[in-house]
Amino acid sequence: MQYQSQAVAKPYFIAAIGLFVGQILFGLIMGLQYVMGDFLFPAIPFNVARMVHTNLLIVWLLFGFMGAAYYMIPEESETELFSPKLALLTFWVFLVAGALTIVGYLTVPYATLAKFTFNDLWPTMGREFLEQPLVTKVGIVLVALSMLFNLTMTVLKGRKTSISIVLLMGLWGLAVFFLFSFYNPSNLVLDKYFWWWTVHLWVEGVWELILGSLLAFVLIKVTGVDREIIEKWLYMIIAMVLITGIIGMGHHYYWIGTPEYWQWFGSVFSALEPIPFFMMTVFAFNMVNRRRREHPNKAAVLWALGTGVMAFLGAGVWGFLHTLAPVNFYTHGTQITAAHGHMAFYGAYAMVVMTIISYAMPMLRGRAANSEKSQVLEMWSFWLMTVAMVFITLFLTAAGILQVWLQRVSTEPLGFMAAQDQVTLFYWLREISGVIFLIGLVLYIISFFVKGETKEAA
Amino acid sequence: MSQAFTKSMARNIFFGGSAFFFLLLVALTFDTMQVLPKRDHRENITPAVERGKMVWEKNNCIGCHTLLGEGAYYAPELGNVYARRGGGEFIKAWIKSRPAEGTPGNRRQMPQFNLTDQELDDMVAFLKWTGEINTAKWPPNIEG
Amino acid sequence: MSTQILTLDSHKAGTPPGDLAIWFFIFAELLAFGIFFLAYAFARANNVELFNESQQHLNRESGAINTVVLITSSYFVVRAVAAIREGLSRQCVYWLGAAIGLGGVFLVIKLFEFHAKFSAGISLSTNTFYMFYLSLTIFHFMHVILGMVILAAVMLKAHQGGYTAEHHTGVETGASYWHMVDLLWIILFPLVYVIR
Repeated sequence: MQYQSQAVAKPYFIAAIGLFVGQILFGLIMGLQYVMGDFLFPAIPFNVARMVHTNLLIVWLLFGFMGAAYYMIPEESETELFSPKLALLTFWVFLVAGALTIVGYLTVPYATLAKFTFNDLWPTMGREFLEQPLVTKVGIVLVALSMLFNLTMTVLKGRKTSISIVLLMGLWGLAVFFLFSFYNPSNLVLDKYFWWWTVHLWVEGVWELILGSLLAFVLIKVTGVDREIIEKWLYMIIAMVLITGIIGMGHHYYWIGTPEYWQWFGSVFSALEPIPFFMMTVFAFNMVNRRRREHPNKAAVLWALGTGVMAFLGAGVWGFLHTLAPVNFYTHGTQITAAHGHMAFYGAYAMVVMTIISYAMPMLRGRAANSEKSQVLEMWSFWLMTVAMVFITLFLTAAGILQVWLQRVSTEPLGFMAAQDQVTLFYWLREISGVIFLIGLVLYIISFFVKGETKEAA
Repeated sequence: MSQAFTKSMARNIFFGGSAFFFLLLVALTFDTMQVLPKRDHRENITPAVERGKMVWEKNNCIGCHTLLGEGAYYAPELGNVYARRGGGEFIKAWIKSRPAEGTPGNRRQMPQFNLTDQELDDMVAFLKWTGEINTAKWPPNIEG
Repeated sequence: MSTQILTLDSHKAGTPPGDLAIWFFIFAELLAFGIFFLAYAFARANNVELFNESQQHLNRESGAINTVVLITSSYFVVRAVAAIREGLSRQCVYWLGAAIGLGGVFLVIKLFEFHAKFSAGISLSTNTFYMFYLSLTIFHFMHVILGMVILAAVMLKAHQGGYTAEHHTGVETGASYWHMVDLLWIILFPLVYVIR
């Protein structure tokens, strides 16, 4: 750690990991409800568990991104953070608001929560991933603005690198496109059309700028490769991300009432969307192979390489599988979508946050890398979680293919529930994989507490 | 200095390419907005349909069901449920009859939402209108 | 280019003219158009009659004139590169200016064509053929504008004496991009306007 103010990243990272555990626990609850429908009913119905699962994911990733930004920007700008106090205040506001929201989800019926938070005056709730009450949404905007102000002021007074510029663009984009979540017309088609401007332009747009800059930062640090080369790659990758991804949004506009030319635009451009992910994999491996030094933090290198590969598999390959309109006609809204969603979020975003945590956390604790023992445990957790996620994806894909066949393709189509009953085996297997994922996550947390011989940070 | 693959070149491609495609998105969105009235039949969005959408959102139905294929994949697609169940009576009876403590056995459970008759009618109006959106022939069959 | 050489050595025999980045870019562009052309072929195969019928209403004369215009402008760009290789900055500027002018002619003719189509009430949603016709030609139209901007930037630098007989990568880069825009039209015109 070169600058005192980088220390504000630490609570963000700790909160991120804590919420990650919550997300996985609720994932396991839902996984069980898939096969044992009355599990925890009526205390935690599936729709509540799912809302908690997805919202926790979003919030812990945001905590991770923010922590990463507070860690990276001072070092990139070669100056102290504009206001560490504001960053800390923002942290507590966000954590308390997030926790209250989750408590609200779990303790009162959703309709009651909507009523008490004045959803009638300005309805924004009850839409997938954007279930947060209006106050929470406003809170997210304020937290984002406070962070953007803090970071932008820091960059303005210090060195301006491509990595910090790309990171800031990503974070500004995140805030700007979130504003579409406040628009909820009574026309469902319009609602869905602009709902994607938040959801798609986040995960297949501006978030990838954040992902790219985090990865580039860690790769510079652990490989010692010339900054010029890494930043050139960064620009090429994010250029391809937006060139393919912006119109690639068309793959969400096939069947929601939008004009049919979107089937062509969506298919053509989203067929190209794997390219930037492929470039990212090549980039990560290329840089590590050309490394100019052996960084003691082997675990961080592993996470960085893993992010490249898993993002390509989850977002690139599994995305491509069902992105062409004639295929999507049959797979839209099935377990295939769930399979893709799981591996893409883990491979791209969860893993990149763990990459930066793996690199930065030892630094924040005053050492270049954790002890050998701690790193071995961390790498075990990497493999357990990653392999478990591969299997979750494979089982959901199998369930999805069967579901599509039974319910949509065969000459005597089964009803939804009848088809679901036929694929129970795969849901059990998915749940077992989920338990293994949780074991990996527990090992990951334990690795932070394993002592041993360490070197002082340079 | 020829054949130099420079960072500034990569940066220009990024800014130029992003701006170009974002403008293209805006243009296509503009065209989409012109075409949509013919496909979503917005003239049929009555106050009941509007209220029905509110009921749909307030009870987080999307947390289990899909609507036009978007949502959770835990419970049946409802974009075409009006057609599948041959009208609104079945829908209303189904929602009303969910036991608060759940159905016996390990079936997937739907909560009892305690909707009023007015809310049930609005919900049906909303689902009926939704079923009439031109969705390019999706879903492939009535099972959703 | 005063910036750093990063990965590739300069002046290797057999490397394409111009900056390598533009070739990467050109490759990406050709890929995108290529997929669109394939999609067109696929859609047409499924609906030959509709495509043939709608094609009758296209203005093939203006398309043909535009083909000649673009090929001529490409020739002018070739002359501009030849001129700068001799170190003749002034001639290079004139040829580039002529090429940009012809690009403008292309745009004007195309605008008349679009105007006629839009007045007839044709839009992206009219049918699959018109979806492709409008998408491909408007997409290409925007590339012509981009190509003209690139050529104008090159011309400005040439005017200021920024290129010499030895150092003129910029001219070759701009020329390569313009040839690609021309090439795309040469594929697009027969594909959409003529073949039936």
